[in-house]
Amino acid sequence: MNSIILRKDIQDKIEEIRKADILVGIPSYNNARTIGHVVKAVQAGFAKYFPESRCVLVNSDGGSTDETMDIVEHEAIRDFQSILFHHRVEPMVRIATPYHGIPGKGSAFRTIFEIAEALKVKACAVVDSDLRSITPEWIELLIKPVLSGEFDYVAPLYHRHKYDGTITNSIVYPLTRALYGKQVRQPIGGDFGFSGELAKFYLTKDVWETDVARYGIDIWMTTTAVANKFRVCQSFLGAKIHDPKDPGADLSAMLYEVVGATFDLMETYAGVWETVEGSEPVPTFGFQYAVGLEPVRVNLDRMIERFRLGVRELVDIWRTFLPAEIVDLLHTMEHMPIKTFHLPDRIWVNLVYYFALAARQRVINKEHLLKSLTPLYVGRTASFVIEAAESGASEVEDKIEALCNMFEERKSFLTKNWKNKGGLS
Amino acid sequence: MNVLQRVIIEPMERLYEKILQFLPSFLTSLLLLAVGIVLGAILRKVIFRILQAFNLDKHFERFGMEAMLDRGGIKESLSALLSRIAGWITVFIFVIIALRALDIPSLERLLEKFFLYLPNVFIAALILFFGYLLSNFLGRAALIASVNAGVILSGLVGKCIKLGVFVLSVTMALEQLGIGSNTIVIAFAITFGGVVLALAIAFGLGGRDIARKYLEKKMKGEEKKDEINHL
Repeated sequence: MNSIILRKDIQDKIEEIRKADILVGIPSYNNARTIGHVVKAVQAGFAKYFPESRCVLVNSDGGSTDETMDIVEHEAIRDFQSILFHHRVEPMVRIATPYHGIPGKGSAFRTIFEIAEALKVKACAVVDSDLRSITPEWIELLIKPVLSGEFDYVAPLYHRHKYDGTITNSIVYPLTRALYGKQVRQPIGGDFGFSGELAKFYLTKDVWETDVARYGIDIWMTTTAVANKFRVCQSFLGAKIHDPKDPGADLSAMLYEVVGATFDLMETYAGVWETVEGSEPVPTFGFQYAVGLEPVRVNLDRMIERFRLGVRELVDIWRTFLPAEIVDLLHTMEHMPIKTFHLPDRIWVNLVYYFALAARQRVINKEHLLKSLTPLYVGRTASFVIEAAESGASEVEDKIEALCNMFEERKSFLTKNWKNKGGLS
Repeated sequence: MNVLQRVIIEPMERLYEKILQFLPSFLTSLLLLAVGIVLGAILRKVIFRILQAFNLDKHFERFGMEAMLDRGGIKESLSALLSRIAGWITVFIFVIIALRALDIPSLERLLEKFFLYLPNVFIAALILFFGYLLSNFLGRAALIASVNAGVILSGLVGKCIKLGVFVLSVTMALEQLGIGSNTIVIAFAITFGGVVLALAIAFGLGGRDIARKYLEKKMKGEEKKDEINHL
């Protein structure tokens, strides 16, 4: 055990444990309010579904100033009989360690991968520390497909409110599906299962000083698994409810990190996606059921106002890489009343592809380029909210499916211009 | 005969002697100039290769350098431009050495003054160059950030930042050149202070109601926020 990123005491603990079958990692930063529930769910999952296996829980912490790590060390289900008739006697092994490197979820995952590799685990899972809806079944659903030896990567599948996950629904899912040909519905879900081999493979990649080490890790893990032909499936986990965050907290930074990582991966795996046509479903596990979801409040006026402001002020930047007809359409939309406000799928797909090409051609600084996408994304979200106002869950899925088909249909435009690095044709 | 000797032949002889004395210096100067031109060309190629090996163009692309050069009508890459400048500086240095080799006292004095002042010109040019780049970069960053924060006067914010940074770099460049150094710093301070004061008064008086409404919204949480989880 010669890791340079693990502390001496953690290395000693690994020497002591020597080997494990299953590892569940929880990245955290000031999650004292919720992490106790997550630890208990993981512990119950181990006891209920993997009583014969040697299980390890790893908390990779980003320097919390609350009691997050203490809670991980000491939180436990005291009375198992209220949950299970029989339960394992062997206690769950816990490792709680601060991670090294650039602050972010990616660096936390790197520490988890290192420990997984050192313990030669067969299957791993990572779950968010702010989850309120996690149950012991999540552990089974994320680990079992890997432990059975049939799959290397398990993506989550959730029921979410129709207005939630709009970056996933309008950019990341349709784009990665069109690029790599696999219908992984929640590529940036945040809760994943993967094999020990895949964890080892992740560690061979030199990305830990890039944006991947921050918040691009989710899309990086999914894309790396898909593009390198690892066997991928998805498990239905029910509803994803987590600790309320400030939803307005720097949307542009979020968009930059996630979309930036997706675009970077397009460059890395250009040789893989350029030849892919259409897409295919991936095997899905878990019993699917309808979930009651809390309503989501949306301020449409504010969203459309942001879009209009963006069109007024940023059009000169966009003009350097967008064709005149799209710019003209954006100007037309600037004056549309809320009732008829609509950004068509075709235009949105073209916008995403033009931004991807502009990022590749380094038209302007990448951060500026991607942050300038924010008003357009907000406009698209507003258009979707208006369009889906009266729609049920299945109708919304149909709309997302139609958008995905449009991404696949227009992919030839992207492929053709991707090769032509000098400019668009 | 004597007159012809004194008026024409003797001066011609003296001129001939002077030319003979001057000729080695002149030839040395020409040689130095030729060496400078050749060395400049070699250095240009070597520096170009080194800068390309360090991927300078790619690194500076992030700061909008290429777009800036393009807007300025320069179609060359930054590596090519910098190596060309280095080549010309080498030639220029050899021109000065060649002129000194001519051994003309008045020219030497002039050169000495010019030579002492030259680093200031070079540094001032660099300050202006990077100031221009930085002003473009920060202006655009401020514009995008303001738009994303929903600031109505985003365009003005971006332009002010761009202009402010460029004016600051011009001030620094002029100070480097020693042109009215104190006057310029004071003028800049007065202008900048004046702008800040004017804005403070304008916002204080003109925007009193807006500020009150904004604070009320923030303090009382009246602003209706979205609850969308984007990821």
